[in-house]
Amino acid sequence: MRVWETMEDFDQFIVNGGTVEPGDDMPSAYRQEVFRFIEMHANSELFGGLCERYWVSRAPGVHRKLAFLAKTQDEIGHAHLLYMVAADLAVKSRAQMIDDLMAGRSKFHNVFHYKTHTWADQIVIAYLVDAAALTTQQAVLKQCSYGPYRRILRRIVSEEGFHMRHGEEMLLTLADGTVTQQNMFQAALDRWWEPVMHFFGPPTKDGDLLIRWRVKSDTNEALRDRFVQKFVPMLQEYGFVVPDPALHRNASTGKWVIGDIDWAALRATQSNVGPDSAARIELSKQSWDNTAWVREALHVP
Amino acid sequence: MPTYEVFLKPDGKDGFFHAGSLDAPDDEMAALYCRETYIRRGEGVQAWLVARQHIVTLDPKELEVTAHRQHASNDGSVVAQRRRARRQAGTE
Repeated sequence: MRVWETMEDFDQFIVNGGTVEPGDDMPSAYRQEVFRFIEMHANSELFGGLCERYWVSRAPGVHRKLAFLAKTQDEIGHAHLLYMVAADLAVKSRAQMIDDLMAGRSKFHNVFHYKTHTWADQIVIAYLVDAAALTTQQAVLKQCSYGPYRRILRRIVSEEGFHMRHGEEMLLTLADGTVTQQNMFQAALDRWWEPVMHFFGPPTKDGDLLIRWRVKSDTNEALRDRFVQKFVPMLQEYGFVVPDPALHRNASTGKWVIGDIDWAALRATQSNVGPDSAARIELSKQSWDNTAWVREALHVP
Repeated sequence: MPTYEVFLKPDGKDGFFHAGSLDAPDDEMAALYCRETYIRRGEGVQAWLVARQHIVTLDPKELEVTAHRQHASNDGSVVAQRRRARRQAGTE
């Protein structure tokens, strides 16, 4: 077990590129911050999987159904990996984390607080939301100071890559399809663009502990900007309109600039009172309760 | 419920690596969870599942001393120095 006498020593260890392992006597503030971050990631993967499950039977054709089934299993699997990593930080047990989530006491990503109206909504999620998640996860994977999280992210990121390609393939099917299909995707994009911008979070404050301790390596704005530069031209190339009237290209830098973001909707999701939060939490609770007999049969506490 | 550590052996020359962990009530369920959670796309051709309680751990403090055993390795600096000296002696 490694011990740091002072916070300065610990900060220096992080600055020097050190990796923290579960057995180390890490500062409790570091433990709490890393735990909170991983728990939210785990919750979001689980909710992502549960939300997606709804579309398995509704996906058009056997190939898509199977792909969605595999993707759903990946998301639930990611949640499992992350809950194990989070539990080793000994802040909460895995059972406590699940209890808190089902009781609506925990946070999960904003995008899982909204309803998916059509198949195109699910494609927006499969493509844009997964791409946004991949952007943030790659930034953590790059140099995260907490060893187990970084190692497990390597696997998660590689699987999210499949999901994104699958999402783009489905997007192109609609883009090259009938006018009805194109309109359906545009309508979904209109609903989801703001939540996707919110996904990266509000502007990072000075002194952010996750940045200071190298859990995150980029600010929320930098990540959002990276996403915008890549996906605005791509959506336009595929014939869609990004629903942001203030969106324009800076003449001198050539970079895309988005309009001001209204954060009200994000704040609602952060308190679990988003448009579909209650239904989503209820759905996951039902799923948990419906599988109680399995856990009982296996003598799992 | 016991926690198992999962080690996978990828196809090819590389050895087992630590893939992660899982909770399972017994070995049989651990094997099932391992396949479902860690080996969905051929990530391993073999897997070892070890109950965490059976793993003997040595921590960095105990192992630190081995990084300073100069006599156990050779960085070649003495050889370089000697060769240099011989070359210089030969040209004089």
